[in-house]
Amino acid sequence: VTGEGAAVLCGVGSWLPPREVSNAELCTRLETSDEWISTRTGIRSRRKANPGTSTSDLAVMAGARALADADAEHVDMVVLATSTPDRLIPVGAPEVASRLGLGRVAAFDLVAGCCGFLYAVAAAAAMIGSGIAGSALVIGAETLSSIVDPDDRQTAPLLGDGAGAVVLRTGVDAAPGSLTSCVLAADGTQSDLIAMAAGGSRRRFSGNQADYFVSMRGREVFRSAVDRMAEAVRSAAEAACWSLGDIDRILVHQANARIVQALAMALDLDLGRLPSNIDRVGNTGAASIPILLDEASSTGVLVPGHRVVLTAFGGGTTWAALALTWPDLSPIRGGTDVRAP
Amino acid sequence: MYELLRDVLVTKIKVRYPANLTPETTRQQAGLDSLAIVELSMILERDLNLPVTDDDLFQAETLGDMAALMEAASKRSGRE
Repeated sequence: VTGEGAAVLCGVGSWLPPREVSNAELCTRLETSDEWISTRTGIRSRRKANPGTSTSDLAVMAGARALADADAEHVDMVVLATSTPDRLIPVGAPEVASRLGLGRVAAFDLVAGCCGFLYAVAAAAAMIGSGIAGSALVIGAETLSSIVDPDDRQTAPLLGDGAGAVVLRTGVDAAPGSLTSCVLAADGTQSDLIAMAAGGSRRRFSGNQADYFVSMRGREVFRSAVDRMAEAVRSAAEAACWSLGDIDRILVHQANARIVQALAMALDLDLGRLPSNIDRVGNTGAASIPILLDEASSTGVLVPGHRVVLTAFGGGTTWAALALTWPDLSPIRGGTDVRAP
Repeated sequence: MYELLRDVLVTKIKVRYPANLTPETTRQQAGLDSLAIVELSMILERDLNLPVTDDDLFQAETLGDMAALMEAASKRSGRE
Protein backbone atom coordinates (compact mmCIF):
# COMPACT_ATOMS: atom_id res chain seq x y z
CA VAL A 1 0.00 0.00 0.00
CA THR A 2 2.67 2.44 -1.01
CA GLY A 3 3.62 4.37 -4.09
CA GLU A 4 2.09 7.50 -5.61
CA GLY A 5 -0.79 8.87 -3.58
CA ALA A 6 -0.40 6.71 -0.50
CA ALA A 7 -3.29 6.75 1.98
CA VAL A 8 -2.49 8.64 5.18
CA LEU A 9 -4.44 8.45 8.43
CA CYS A 10 -5.46 11.98 9.39
CA GLY A 11 -8.25 11.66 11.96
CA VAL A 12 -9.67 9.29 14.55
CA GLY A 13 -12.82 9.27 16.67
CA SER A 14 -15.02 6.93 18.67
CA TRP A 15 -18.30 6.76 20.48
CA LEU A 16 -19.55 4.47 23.22
CA PRO A 17 -23.16 4.25 24.30
CA PRO A 18 -23.40 5.77 27.79
CA ARG A 19 -25.05 2.81 29.52
CA GLU A 20 -22.47 0.78 31.45
CA VAL A 21 -23.13 -2.82 32.40
CA SER A 22 -20.97 -3.98 35.30
CA ASN A 23 -20.01 -7.56 36.08
CA ALA A 24 -22.17 -7.28 39.19
CA GLU A 25 -25.21 -6.46 37.04
CA LEU A 26 -24.51 -9.43 34.72
CA CYS A 27 -24.21 -11.70 37.75
CA THR A 28 -27.80 -11.03 38.74
CA ARG A 29 -28.74 -13.16 35.71
CA LEU A 30 -25.70 -15.37 35.07
CA GLU A 31 -24.53 -17.92 37.60
CA THR A 32 -21.08 -16.45 37.95
CA SER A 33 -19.14 -13.83 39.88
CA ASP A 34 -17.27 -10.59 39.26
CA GLU A 35 -14.05 -12.47 40.04
CA TRP A 36 -14.86 -15.34 37.63
CA ILE A 37 -15.45 -12.87 34.79
CA SER A 38 -12.55 -10.53 35.50
CA THR A 39 -9.92 -13.24 35.97
CA ARG A 40 -10.98 -15.05 32.77
CA THR A 41 -11.49 -12.02 30.55
CA GLY A 42 -10.01 -8.91 32.18
CA ILE A 43 -13.40 -7.23 31.73
CA ARG A 44 -15.08 -5.27 34.54
CA SER A 45 -17.76 -3.46 32.56
CA ARG A 46 -18.96 -3.02 29.00
CA ARG A 47 -21.31 -0.61 27.22
CA LYS A 48 -24.75 -1.47 25.94
CA ALA A 49 -26.83 0.39 23.38
CA ASN A 50 -30.35 1.29 24.49
CA PRO A 51 -33.23 -0.53 22.79
CA GLY A 52 -33.86 1.20 19.48
CA THR A 53 -30.25 2.28 19.07
CA SER A 54 -28.64 0.45 16.17
CA THR A 55 -25.19 -0.02 14.73
CA SER A 56 -25.65 2.83 12.24
CA ASP A 57 -26.46 5.22 15.12
CA LEU A 58 -23.16 4.36 16.77
CA ALA A 59 -21.36 4.58 13.41
CA VAL A 60 -22.70 8.09 12.75
CA MET A 61 -21.48 9.32 16.14
CA ALA A 62 -17.98 7.85 15.73
CA GLY A 63 -17.81 8.96 12.09
CA ALA A 64 -18.69 12.56 12.99
CA ARG A 65 -15.94 12.65 15.58
CA ALA A 66 -13.34 11.25 13.19
CA LEU A 67 -14.33 13.78 10.51
CA ALA A 68 -14.06 16.59 13.06
CA ASP A 69 -10.68 15.30 14.19
CA ALA A 70 -9.48 15.31 10.58
CA ASP A 71 -11.06 18.75 10.03
CA ALA A 72 -12.74 17.17 7.00
CA GLU A 73 -16.18 18.23 5.79
CA HIS A 74 -16.14 15.82 2.90
CA VAL A 75 -14.74 12.40 2.04
CA ASP A 76 -15.08 10.42 -1.21
CA MET A 77 -16.07 7.13 0.38
CA VAL A 78 -17.51 5.55 3.53
CA VAL A 79 -16.68 1.98 4.52
CA LEU A 80 -18.55 0.45 7.44
CA ALA A 81 -17.05 -2.67 9.01
CA THR A 82 -19.59 -4.57 11.07
CA SER A 83 -20.97 -8.02 11.80
CA THR A 84 -24.13 -6.57 13.33
CA PRO A 85 -25.73 -4.45 10.59
CA ASP A 86 -29.06 -2.70 11.22
CA ARG A 87 -30.65 -5.01 8.65
CA LEU A 88 -29.37 -7.63 6.17
CA ILE A 89 -30.64 -5.40 3.36
CA PRO A 90 -29.79 -2.63 2.68
CA VAL A 91 -26.11 -2.12 3.46
CA GLY A 92 -25.69 0.41 6.25
CA ALA A 93 -22.87 2.64 4.97
CA PRO A 94 -25.00 4.70 2.53
CA GLU A 95 -27.39 5.69 5.33
CA VAL A 96 -24.44 6.53 7.60
CA ALA A 97 -22.89 8.66 4.84
CA SER A 98 -26.19 10.42 4.26
CA ARG A 99 -26.75 11.15 7.96
CA LEU A 100 -23.24 12.55 8.17
CA GLY A 101 -24.12 15.01 5.40
CA LEU A 102 -21.69 13.45 2.95
CA GLY A 103 -24.23 13.22 0.12
CA ARG A 104 -23.97 10.57 -2.58
CA VAL A 105 -20.45 9.35 -1.95
CA ALA A 106 -19.47 5.71 -2.51
CA ALA A 107 -20.43 3.67 0.53
CA PHE A 108 -20.35 -0.01 1.37
CA ASP A 109 -20.22 -2.42 4.30
CA LEU A 110 -17.39 -4.85 4.82
CA VAL A 111 -17.73 -8.04 6.86
CA ALA A 112 -14.60 -9.75 8.14
CA GLY A 113 -15.58 -10.50 11.73
CA CYS A 114 -13.49 -8.81 14.39
CA CYS A 115 -10.88 -8.13 11.66
CA GLY A 116 -13.39 -6.07 9.70
CA PHE A 117 -11.91 -2.70 10.57
CA LEU A 118 -8.37 -3.67 9.54
CA TYR A 119 -9.61 -5.24 6.28
CA ALA A 120 -11.65 -2.06 5.65
CA VAL A 121 -8.64 0.21 6.23
CA ALA A 122 -6.60 -1.96 3.87
CA ALA A 123 -9.33 -1.82 1.20
CA ALA A 124 -9.81 1.94 1.53
CA ALA A 125 -6.06 2.58 1.52
CA ALA A 126 -5.67 0.48 -1.63
CA MET A 127 -8.48 2.43 -3.35
CA ILE A 128 -6.87 5.71 -2.37
CA GLY A 129 -3.47 4.47 -3.49
CA SER A 130 -4.88 3.49 -6.89
CA GLY A 131 -6.75 6.76 -7.37
CA ILE A 132 -10.30 5.39 -7.07
CA ALA A 133 -10.92 7.70 -4.11
CA GLY A 134 -9.05 10.66 -2.66
CA SER A 135 -10.25 10.16 0.89
CA ALA A 136 -12.29 7.74 2.97
CA LEU A 137 -14.06 7.46 6.28
CA VAL A 138 -13.56 3.95 7.66
CA ILE A 139 -15.83 2.99 10.55
CA GLY A 140 -15.94 -0.09 12.76
CA ALA A 141 -19.26 -0.30 14.61
CA GLU A 142 -21.04 -3.09 16.46
CA THR A 143 -24.13 -3.67 18.51
CA LEU A 144 -22.99 -7.09 19.71
CA SER A 145 -25.55 -6.98 22.51
CA SER A 146 -28.10 -7.75 19.76
CA ILE A 147 -26.58 -11.19 19.06
CA VAL A 148 -25.46 -12.24 22.52
CA ASP A 149 -27.26 -14.87 24.57
CA PRO A 150 -27.80 -13.17 27.95
CA ASP A 151 -27.68 -16.60 29.61
CA ASP A 152 -24.40 -17.74 28.01
CA ARG A 153 -21.60 -17.38 30.53
CA GLN A 154 -19.01 -17.71 27.77
CA THR A 155 -20.12 -14.83 25.55
CA ALA A 156 -22.41 -12.54 27.60
CA PRO A 157 -19.62 -11.13 29.79
CA LEU A 158 -17.32 -10.59 26.79
CA LEU A 159 -19.28 -8.63 24.24
CA GLY A 160 -20.06 -4.93 24.23
CA ASP A 161 -21.32 -2.18 21.92
CA GLY A 162 -19.46 0.79 20.43
CA ALA A 163 -17.95 2.40 17.35
CA GLY A 164 -14.69 3.90 16.20
CA ALA A 165 -13.55 5.48 12.95
CA VAL A 166 -10.58 6.91 11.08
CA VAL A 167 -10.24 9.24 8.12
CA LEU A 168 -7.73 8.40 5.39
CA ARG A 169 -6.68 10.74 2.61
CA THR A 170 -4.15 10.93 -0.19
CA GLY A 171 -0.76 11.84 1.18
CA VAL A 172 2.91 11.43 0.67
CA ASP A 173 4.28 7.91 0.58
CA ALA A 174 6.15 7.00 3.79
CA ALA A 175 4.76 10.08 5.58
CA PRO A 176 3.62 9.50 9.18
CA GLY A 177 0.15 7.94 9.07
CA SER A 178 0.72 6.03 5.82
CA LEU A 179 0.49 2.25 5.95
CA THR A 180 3.99 0.86 6.00
CA SER A 181 2.89 -2.74 5.61
CA CYS A 182 -0.27 -4.79 5.60
CA VAL A 183 -0.87 -8.51 6.23
CA LEU A 184 -4.31 -10.02 5.61
CA ALA A 185 -5.18 -13.71 5.91
CA ALA A 186 -8.06 -16.12 6.50
CA ASP A 187 -8.74 -19.82 7.12
CA GLY A 188 -12.17 -21.10 6.08
CA THR A 189 -11.54 -24.52 7.60
CA GLN A 190 -12.13 -22.81 10.95
CA SER A 191 -15.53 -21.40 9.97
CA ASP A 192 -17.28 -22.95 12.98
CA LEU A 193 -15.01 -21.43 15.63
CA ILE A 194 -17.16 -18.30 15.94
CA ALA A 195 -20.58 -18.61 14.37
CA MET A 196 -24.30 -17.90 14.37
CA ALA A 197 -26.46 -20.82 13.19
CA ALA A 198 -29.46 -19.07 11.65
CA GLY A 199 -30.42 -15.83 9.91
CA GLY A 200 -28.41 -16.30 6.71
CA SER A 201 -29.21 -18.13 3.46
CA ARG A 202 -28.13 -21.54 4.77
CA ARG A 203 -30.79 -21.46 7.47
CA ARG A 204 -33.03 -18.46 7.17
CA PHE A 205 -35.47 -19.21 9.99
CA SER A 206 -35.16 -21.24 13.13
CA GLY A 207 -37.65 -21.93 15.87
CA ASN A 208 -34.83 -21.89 18.37
CA GLN A 209 -33.83 -18.44 19.52
CA ALA A 210 -30.37 -19.71 20.50
CA ASP A 211 -29.62 -20.13 16.78
CA TYR A 212 -29.64 -16.34 16.44
CA PHE A 213 -26.97 -15.87 19.09
CA VAL A 214 -23.25 -15.92 18.42
CA SER A 215 -21.44 -18.96 19.76
CA MET A 216 -17.75 -19.48 20.23
CA ARG A 217 -15.35 -22.37 20.79
CA GLY A 218 -13.32 -20.54 23.41
CA ARG A 219 -10.21 -22.70 23.78
CA GLU A 220 -9.66 -23.07 20.03
CA VAL A 221 -10.28 -19.36 19.47
CA PHE A 222 -7.71 -18.53 22.15
CA ARG A 223 -5.00 -20.72 20.64
CA SER A 224 -5.60 -19.64 17.04
CA ALA A 225 -5.91 -15.96 17.96
CA VAL A 226 -2.55 -15.90 19.73
CA ASP A 227 -0.72 -17.97 17.09
CA ARG A 228 -2.16 -16.16 14.07
CA MET A 229 -1.76 -12.62 15.47
CA ALA A 230 1.82 -13.37 16.55
CA GLU A 231 2.54 -14.60 13.02
CA ALA A 232 0.86 -11.55 11.43
CA VAL A 233 2.66 -9.06 13.68
CA ARG A 234 6.01 -10.67 12.83
CA SER A 235 5.22 -10.55 9.09
CA ALA A 236 4.00 -6.94 9.21
CA ALA A 237 7.10 -5.85 11.15
CA GLU A 238 9.39 -7.69 8.76
CA ALA A 239 7.70 -6.13 5.73
CA ALA A 240 8.14 -2.71 7.36
CA CYS A 241 11.85 -3.51 7.95
CA TRP A 242 11.29 -3.23 11.72
CA SER A 243 12.49 -5.66 14.34
CA LEU A 244 9.92 -6.59 16.99
CA GLY A 245 11.90 -4.43 19.42
CA ASP A 246 11.39 -1.41 17.13
CA ILE A 247 7.62 -1.52 17.64
CA ASP A 248 6.52 1.08 20.20
CA ARG A 249 2.87 0.00 20.46
CA ILE A 250 0.88 -3.02 19.32
CA LEU A 251 -2.85 -2.34 19.38
CA VAL A 252 -4.54 -5.71 19.61
CA HIS A 253 -8.22 -6.43 19.01
CA GLN A 254 -9.61 -6.39 22.54
CA ALA A 255 -11.11 -9.88 22.55
CA ASN A 256 -9.92 -10.98 25.96
CA ALA A 257 -7.17 -9.56 28.19
CA ARG A 258 -5.70 -13.04 28.49
CA ILE A 259 -5.21 -13.19 24.70
CA VAL A 260 -3.37 -9.86 24.78
CA GLN A 261 -1.14 -11.14 27.61
CA ALA A 262 -0.44 -14.42 25.80
CA LEU A 263 0.38 -12.53 22.60
CA ALA A 264 2.89 -10.33 24.47
CA MET A 265 4.48 -13.51 25.83
CA ALA A 266 4.55 -15.20 22.41
CA LEU A 267 6.30 -12.15 20.94
CA ASP A 268 8.50 -11.78 24.03
CA LEU A 269 7.45 -8.13 24.39
CA ASP A 270 6.70 -6.12 27.52
CA LEU A 271 2.94 -6.01 28.13
CA GLY A 272 3.24 -2.22 28.53
CA ARG A 273 3.66 -1.94 24.76
CA LEU A 274 0.24 -3.52 24.21
CA PRO A 275 -2.24 -0.96 25.57
CA SER A 276 -5.66 -2.22 26.61
CA ASN A 277 -9.09 -0.81 27.42
CA ILE A 278 -11.00 -4.09 27.56
CA ASP A 279 -11.62 -3.72 31.30
CA ARG A 280 -14.03 -0.85 30.54
CA VAL A 281 -15.42 -1.64 27.06
CA GLY A 282 -15.29 -5.42 26.62
CA ASN A 283 -14.97 -6.99 23.20
CA THR A 284 -16.57 -4.65 20.65
CA GLY A 285 -15.77 -6.71 17.55
CA ALA A 286 -14.84 -4.67 14.49
CA ALA A 287 -15.08 -1.48 16.57
CA SER A 288 -12.46 -2.46 19.09
CA ILE A 289 -9.29 -1.27 17.34
CA PRO A 290 -10.52 2.20 16.32
CA ILE A 291 -12.00 2.72 19.82
CA LEU A 292 -8.63 1.80 21.33
CA LEU A 293 -6.78 3.96 18.76
CA ASP A 294 -8.86 6.98 19.71
CA GLU A 295 -8.37 6.43 23.42
CA ALA A 296 -4.63 5.73 23.11
CA SER A 297 -4.15 8.78 20.90
CA SER A 298 -6.09 11.17 23.13
CA THR A 299 -4.45 9.97 26.37
CA GLY A 300 -0.87 10.10 25.07
CA VAL A 301 -0.38 6.33 25.07
CA LEU A 302 0.20 6.78 21.35
CA VAL A 303 2.33 9.76 20.35
CA PRO A 304 3.42 11.06 16.95
CA GLY A 305 6.37 9.08 15.64
CA HIS A 306 5.45 5.86 17.44
CA ARG A 307 5.92 2.75 15.34
CA VAL A 308 2.56 1.04 15.64
CA VAL A 309 1.19 -2.35 14.61
CA LEU A 310 -2.57 -2.98 14.65
CA THR A 311 -3.62 -6.63 14.77
CA ALA A 312 -6.85 -8.60 15.02
CA PHE A 313 -8.28 -12.11 14.77
CA GLY A 314 -11.93 -12.95 14.26
CA GLY A 315 -14.66 -15.23 12.97
CA GLY A 316 -14.14 -16.72 9.53
CA THR A 317 -11.51 -17.12 10.68
CA THR A 318 -9.71 -13.96 9.59
CA TRP A 319 -6.62 -12.23 10.87
CA ALA A 320 -4.61 -9.15 9.97
CA ALA A 321 -1.81 -6.81 10.97
CA LEU A 322 -1.10 -3.29 9.70
CA ALA A 323 2.03 -1.28 10.46
CA LEU A 324 2.22 2.50 10.43
CA THR A 325 4.04 5.39 12.05
CA TRP A 326 1.59 7.33 14.20
CA PRO A 327 0.91 10.79 12.72
CA ASP A 328 0.51 14.15 14.43
CA LEU A 329 -3.26 14.58 14.60
CA SER A 330 -5.04 17.82 15.31
CA PRO A 331 -6.02 18.35 18.95
CA ILE A 332 -9.72 18.89 18.15
CA ARG A 333 -11.67 16.31 20.16
CA GLY A 334 -15.35 15.61 20.33
CA GLY A 335 -16.47 18.67 18.37
CA THR A 336 -19.64 17.50 16.65
CA ASP A 337 -23.14 18.72 16.09
CA VAL A 338 -24.56 15.22 15.75
CA ARG A 339 -26.95 14.39 18.57
CA ALA A 340 -26.49 11.21 20.57
CA PRO A 341 -29.12 8.59 19.78
CA MET B 1 9.75 -32.98 34.68
CA TYR B 2 7.49 -31.84 37.54
CA GLU B 3 10.02 -29.12 38.45
CA LEU B 4 9.94 -27.86 34.86
CA LEU B 5 6.13 -27.77 34.94
CA ARG B 6 6.20 -25.99 38.28
CA ASP B 7 8.61 -23.41 36.88
CA VAL B 8 6.31 -22.73 33.89
CA LEU B 9 3.27 -22.43 36.17
CA VAL B 10 5.04 -19.97 38.46
CA THR B 11 7.01 -17.83 35.98
CA LYS B 12 4.81 -17.91 32.86
CA ILE B 13 1.26 -18.79 33.89
CA LYS B 14 1.78 -16.94 37.19
CA VAL B 15 -0.47 -19.11 39.37
CA ARG B 16 -1.77 -17.29 42.41
CA TYR B 17 -0.38 -19.48 45.23
CA PRO B 18 2.95 -20.91 43.98
CA ALA B 19 4.03 -22.06 47.46
CA ASN B 20 1.11 -24.50 47.62
CA LEU B 21 2.00 -26.48 44.47
CA THR B 22 2.90 -30.17 44.81
CA PRO B 23 2.68 -33.11 42.37
CA GLU B 24 -0.60 -34.04 44.11
CA THR B 25 -2.17 -30.58 43.54
CA THR B 26 -5.23 -30.82 41.27
CA ARG B 27 -5.87 -28.54 38.31
CA GLN B 28 -8.63 -26.76 40.23
CA GLN B 29 -6.50 -26.36 43.37
CA ALA B 30 -3.74 -24.83 41.25
CA GLY B 31 -6.31 -22.35 39.90
CA LEU B 32 -5.80 -23.45 36.30
CA ASP B 33 -8.92 -22.49 34.33
CA SER B 34 -9.58 -23.59 30.74
CA LEU B 35 -7.61 -20.73 29.15
CA ALA B 36 -4.65 -21.35 31.47
CA ILE B 37 -4.58 -24.97 30.25
CA VAL B 38 -4.50 -23.76 26.63
CA GLU B 39 -1.72 -21.30 27.52
CA LEU B 40 0.22 -24.08 29.24
CA SER B 41 -0.15 -26.33 26.19
CA MET B 42 1.06 -23.52 23.90
CA ILE B 43 4.09 -22.72 26.11
CA LEU B 44 5.07 -26.40 26.41
CA GLU B 45 5.04 -26.80 22.65
CA ARG B 46 6.49 -23.43 21.64
CA ASP B 47 9.17 -22.88 24.29
CA LEU B 48 10.03 -26.41 25.44
CA ASN B 49 9.28 -28.52 22.36
CA LEU B 50 6.93 -30.72 24.42
CA PRO B 51 3.75 -31.13 22.38
CA VAL B 52 0.95 -31.97 24.83
CA THR B 53 -2.59 -31.08 23.72
CA ASP B 54 -4.87 -29.02 25.95
CA ASP B 55 -7.40 -31.89 25.73
CA ASP B 56 -4.82 -34.23 27.27
CA LEU B 57 -3.90 -31.69 29.94
CA PHE B 58 -7.59 -31.38 30.79
CA GLN B 59 -7.81 -35.13 31.40
CA ALA B 60 -4.89 -35.00 33.84
CA GLU B 61 -6.12 -34.89 37.43
CA THR B 62 -2.98 -33.62 39.13
CA LEU B 63 0.17 -31.68 38.30
CA GLY B 64 2.05 -34.98 38.62
CA ASP B 65 -0.17 -36.44 35.88
CA MET B 66 0.59 -33.41 33.70
CA ALA B 67 4.31 -33.90 34.27
CA ALA B 68 3.89 -37.54 33.16
CA LEU B 69 2.32 -36.29 29.90
CA MET B 70 5.30 -34.00 29.41
CA GLU B 71 7.65 -36.92 30.07
CA ALA B 72 5.85 -38.99 27.41
CA ALA B 73 6.01 -36.07 24.94
CA SER B 74 9.72 -35.72 25.61
CA LYS B 75 10.29 -39.42 24.87
CA ARG B 76 8.18 -39.18 21.70
CA SER B 77 10.15 -36.21 20.38
CA GLY B 78 13.41 -37.95 21.36
CA ARG B 79 12.47 -40.93 19.15
CA GLU B 80 11.65 -38.78 16.11
